Amino acid sequence: MAKDLRECRLEDLPGPKSKQELDEMKMPYEAYCKAAFAPGHEMSKPEALKGIRWLSTTMYIFTPHSVANLAELGAEVIKVEMPRMGDPMKHTSPFNEAYLYPLHDTRPMTGTGYGFTSANVNEYYLSMDYHLPEMKEAFYRLIKMSDGLTECYRPGTFDRWKQSYRFVQELNPRFIYVWGGGFGYGPKCFGGSYDILGQAHAGLASVTGMHEFMGGHCTKHSNWCIDWYSGTQITFGILAALHWRAKTGLGTMIEFSQVQAATRVLGHAAPLYGRFGIVRQRWGNWDTQLCVHGIILCGKSDFPDAINPQDKFEARYAMVSAFQDKDFKALCGVIKKPDMYSKYLKHKDRVEGEAQVDIYAQLEDWAKDKSRGEVVRILQHEGLLCEPVMNDREVYESEHYRTRGTVRWMEDPLFGDVLVQGTYSAGLMSQTPRRQYWIWRPVGADNVKIYHELLGYPISKVKEWYDKAWI
Amino acid sequence: MCDIIWCKKVQGEGKPCETVNYLDPYCFWNWKGNINCAHCGTVYYIHMINGHMYEGPTEQKAGTKPDTSPLYADKPLEGYINYPSGIEGRTRPFHCLPRHIYLGVPDMVKFSIRGRPLRGWRPQPKSAGIAGQFPFNWEMEKLSPEVAAEYQEKIAKGEVKDW
Repeated sequence: MAKDLRECRLEDLPGPKSKQELDEMKMPYEAYCKAAFAPGHEMSKPEALKGIRWLSTTMYIFTPHSVANLAELGAEVIKVEMPRMGDPMKHTSPFNEAYLYPLHDTRPMTGTGYGFTSANVNEYYLSMDYHLPEMKEAFYRLIKMSDGLTECYRPGTFDRWKQSYRFVQELNPRFIYVWGGGFGYGPKCFGGSYDILGQAHAGLASVTGMHEFMGGHCTKHSNWCIDWYSGTQITFGILAALHWRAKTGLGTMIEFSQVQAATRVLGHAAPLYGRFGIVRQRWGNWDTQLCVHGIILCGKSDFPDAINPQDKFEARYAMVSAFQDKDFKALCGVIKKPDMYSKYLKHKDRVEGEAQVDIYAQLEDWAKDKSRGEVVRILQHEGLLCEPVMNDREVYESEHYRTRGTVRWMEDPLFGDVLVQGTYSAGLMSQTPRRQYWIWRPVGADNVKIYHELLGYPISKVKEWYDKAWI
Repeated sequence: MCDIIWCKKVQGEGKPCETVNYLDPYCFWNWKGNINCAHCGTVYYIHMINGHMYEGPTEQKAGTKPDTSPLYADKPLEGYINYPSGIEGRTRPFHCLPRHIYLGVPDMVKFSIRGRPLRGWRPQPKSAGIAGQFPFNWEMEKLSPEVAAEYQEKIAKGEVKDW
């Protein structure tokens, strides 16, 4: 800005300042986005969290994911695992069949299961039995050299092992300490947790799935969505704590209960109960606030000759949204039920429970002799919002995701060709995008790098610890 | 779990063996042959069809060679003393082989669906490093020459794609 505010300089005016900027401004928005985000060119850009070193003594998906988020954004994350065993998630794989080998030199017949994917990318893999008194020194030295730690043991376990926030704060006052687990302090303090427990205990499973009179039951999501979600919530906490530390120079302890986190996604459930004493019920593929706004079953699969049963039998669902009066009228016209429109003229008539049962039944009746593709085509032709419920293969083949780099192939340095979707699904950033260098590494793969190169222990010491199975 | 063999073979002290040998469906779903008791080594003949015991278990003469072993066995009446998998001469090691999705036969995947090599089979050669250290790059030509050769064949045949 000029010193004299009456002076108007070219560089203070809005608008392009160079030919390059002018070209950028003249670009169509689509082309601008493509150039700004440039999927596939992430590695040439800087990393937002470079310089942050984080320790991860985590297991399964929930707490590891909170740290993987940091590693994808450039933090140096050291995953500390139990010697020769590793994170139990490494031994968890869909139907016990999808593994990548090797896991560890001493276990040639054991691999790492695909369940481990996406929750531990870009990390360095250290093995250490950190509750042994002999390994305490190495552990404390790592604490002194790091910005934070995420752990997932039962409350008080790390305290008993003299490595909880109370202890590490003495070593490093800037340290950010995260405990993530089931219940947190309170009457159920010692209860462990899994994703399914989080979904069940928070009341989420009770409102998921169709109502019993429609043949449904309380339902958990097939994937561990509350693990992924809670992990991401922890990451927000960590970023806020880093910001706070930049301002004050002080560390923080984050205590994150998974069952508590899951209550946040329940939306209006608590205020509804608080005001009327009504307990929210399941409404499955329909919606309690909008109608028509749900998923319907069509008569025929789009791929009747496919081998994969998910294609052959299940490619029959479509989501339809036509809750505005104009759209609902068009929908009734398409399915040739004009009387349905006159019966439910206003949205408040349509959204009633009984009305929804009637409306969706009539919609599915119309769709019963059509394939999913036909239903989508007909409704989209009328300008209505309708999309097929896609399966993984269709997501993989979707041009939209390929253009944006959401699903992509990568050459893992150790495991070869893998298809990944986790890192690149979490939003695009023009300056400091997320990236994936490797999916994971074997147990203790970076022992020499950390113990010898970072902490300076002699190789003979590292070998000795390894032979004793302390690392 | 499709079935068990509860071995009652009387031992030297006059007590029955009382070992439960678990017949995991992965191996025994459709199977016939001889299998040993993990504790006393008595060999039984069984014939299973779709997870049901069609014939047996019939005790075989001493000295009969077993075709396979149970994956796991325990002695529930003795405070759950057990034999985990992979004890030579008693239990089978757990190989955890990926199966062909329809045929059920072991199918060690070495290439992704677009035809590029994937280090996904076992056993893998040991790392050359110290303390479990693994180098960053999979040197395919050195560590898995047969896969590297097969990959070249695939390239020549045009079976390697971008998507």
